[in-house]
Amino acid sequence: MLTADPLTADDRVATRLSGFPGFLRANGFAVGGADAVQVLQTAQRVGILDPHVLRWSLQALLCGRRDEWRRFDQLFDAWFLPANRWQRPERREREADGLSGDRPDAASDREGGAAGPDRQRRHAASREDVLSSTDFAELNQREHLLDIEALMRRFARQLKHLRLRREARMNHGRRLDLPGTIRKSVASGGTPFHLAWKDRRRVRPRIVLLIDVSRSMAAYSFFYLRLARALGAELSDVHSFIFHTRVTAMSHALHDPDPWRSQERLHLIAQGWAGGTRIGESLAQFNREHAPRVVHSRTAVIVMSDGYDTGDPAQLSEALVQLRRRARRIVWLNPLSHRPGYAPICQGMQAALPHLDLLAPGADLASIRAVLPQLIEALR
Amino acid sequence: MTAERALELAALQQRLGDAGYIAEPGLVAALLLMQDLGRPLLLEGDAGVGKTEVAKVLAAVRSTRLIRLQCYEGLDAHAAMYEWNYQRQLLAIQLLNHDERTTPKDLAQKEQDIFSERYLLKRPLLEAITCVEPPVLLIDEVDRADEAFEAYLLELLSDFQLSIPELGTVHATSRPLVVITSNGTRELSDALRRRCLYQFIDHPDHDKELAIVRKKAPDAGAELAQQIVSFVQAVRRMELQKKPGIAETLDWTAALLRLGISVIDVDGTERIMETLSALIKTRDDRAAFPRAAVARLAAAC
Repeated sequence: MLTADPLTADDRVATRLSGFPGFLRANGFAVGGADAVQVLQTAQRVGILDPHVLRWSLQALLCGRRDEWRRFDQLFDAWFLPANRWQRPERREREADGLSGDRPDAASDREGGAAGPDRQRRHAASREDVLSSTDFAELNQREHLLDIEALMRRFARQLKHLRLRREARMNHGRRLDLPGTIRKSVASGGTPFHLAWKDRRRVRPRIVLLIDVSRSMAAYSFFYLRLARALGAELSDVHSFIFHTRVTAMSHALHDPDPWRSQERLHLIAQGWAGGTRIGESLAQFNREHAPRVVHSRTAVIVMSDGYDTGDPAQLSEALVQLRRRARRIVWLNPLSHRPGYAPICQGMQAALPHLDLLAPGADLASIRAVLPQLIEALR
Repeated sequence: MTAERALELAALQQRLGDAGYIAEPGLVAALLLMQDLGRPLLLEGDAGVGKTEVAKVLAAVRSTRLIRLQCYEGLDAHAAMYEWNYQRQLLAIQLLNHDERTTPKDLAQKEQDIFSERYLLKRPLLEAITCVEPPVLLIDEVDRADEAFEAYLLELLSDFQLSIPELGTVHATSRPLVVITSNGTRELSDALRRRCLYQFIDHPDHDKELAIVRKKAPDAGAELAQQIVSFVQAVRRMELQKKPGIAETLDWTAALLRLGISVIDVDGTERIMETLSALIKTRDDRAAFPRAAVARLAAAC
């Protein structure tokens, strides 16, 4: 930093400092353009020669959440310490072909024989009805994908309206809102012409989706993800997780407004996708890391899995018992259970069954439609 | 200038310490910065790590008022900001009826009387911005309130003014120091995070916890304090549903002192078991502490 001209030294310091928010942004921090000014102001106040004070101050200023807080030190070192001066934020190449064009391989294998005549018959009925009662595994045409997505979205919107209508009806009142009535009566000199009503306390039910993305679920998991995305876009309090051998939160990735980036983030999350399943272990991990934050007494946990588990069934039932204690409802949607002759006899389902409120088929949109409204109703 | 800041930092840390709060230098730096920039400070961390205490001790150090707004689900603007005192207003109307003033001008005067500050009940937020001395405003557990309230709060925190339709806009006479705490039961909006300085408070490490126990429970001897802290730190390393916070440590210390336990060892296992309810707060966690486990922990201290 020792140069002959102090001005240039100052300039260099200022440039370095004001570049820091950009560096953090490139590393996934939620900082904005205005923060550079704040950084300079802060540096001016606290001085720049004591690295600790500067570090602590900038950490408080620029971090917004826990993971940013944890990563800050490293990034601060990388940017300000001379040895790593040239280190740049890692850039990821985007992959052009992602989820939306992608279709589950297992599904396309199945397509050949069975679907042909079947689909012709279906064309005769209303297209919408057909789509919503078609097994997800058999939907693999691109236009079907778009349609089913639209249907899912409409369904999610219906759920929202259902709740809103209920609330509105209560608006007409069960109980008089006394302060409100008196407030209104002030206008008419103390005579209560206009009555104010109290509606029931607004409650916010929460839905937690746990989606199995192991290999046996490959034909369904993509549709469940779409459903999670549609629900998350329309309802305010939906949290989605995927699991195979471990559990990963993915609400942020799903709700990324940029669909390409959303795909890219899902790709990163999906390491281990379509591998084995250890449901018990995943749920135990969910209990440990996410449940205290995400699951409260008005939460419905929806597990979407076929129950084929390579882990320990005892651990699965243990984890479900624990989860039970926190959640209001646990529902298991099993895409296989509508098939003729299916009985929940595999080890995983056997272990889970005693702890579930409901085991329902989840292979097509119609069956999910049959379950979810009552579920939300039960949470009120 | 740099040296000044470091001195300032050390001085504030010292004063916080005198007031009974052992603060990490990072937190102290954030507190200083919060006063410089006039921004709220958002504190996150597990329950019982001393988030609320920060606001209390800050008020004590600056010897100003602490105004506390405890958030809860369904908290609305009326409970948080202001409310009209309807009963008194009605009474006033009745009284004014017998008043002889009847010209239009008088009527306007009457109306103004009814919606004047005399009939306004100040709730914490309005109270905080109308104090003469800048107070410390603690908005506790903001994650329990709903999103709509967060939006109200943002408006207040950005402009430090509040509009009351019947009365007009109330500008802050002084800028309160705002401390917001969150337990993370709900994700806060990015807008709120952006507007705040952020501090994550972790469970204290061994040395810090020891210092806190020594400060808060001077009755416990040096050796006992040492043992208590080792025990709690070991408990925290176990896989529990609810890890004991510093508040639990202090409770437990008090419980031990009350029972007259002066040393933690294997012989005292039985009595330690009796006090564990101060430290372990769920049934499942309690099941993880059979006699043998407690004896082992006690022996390791």
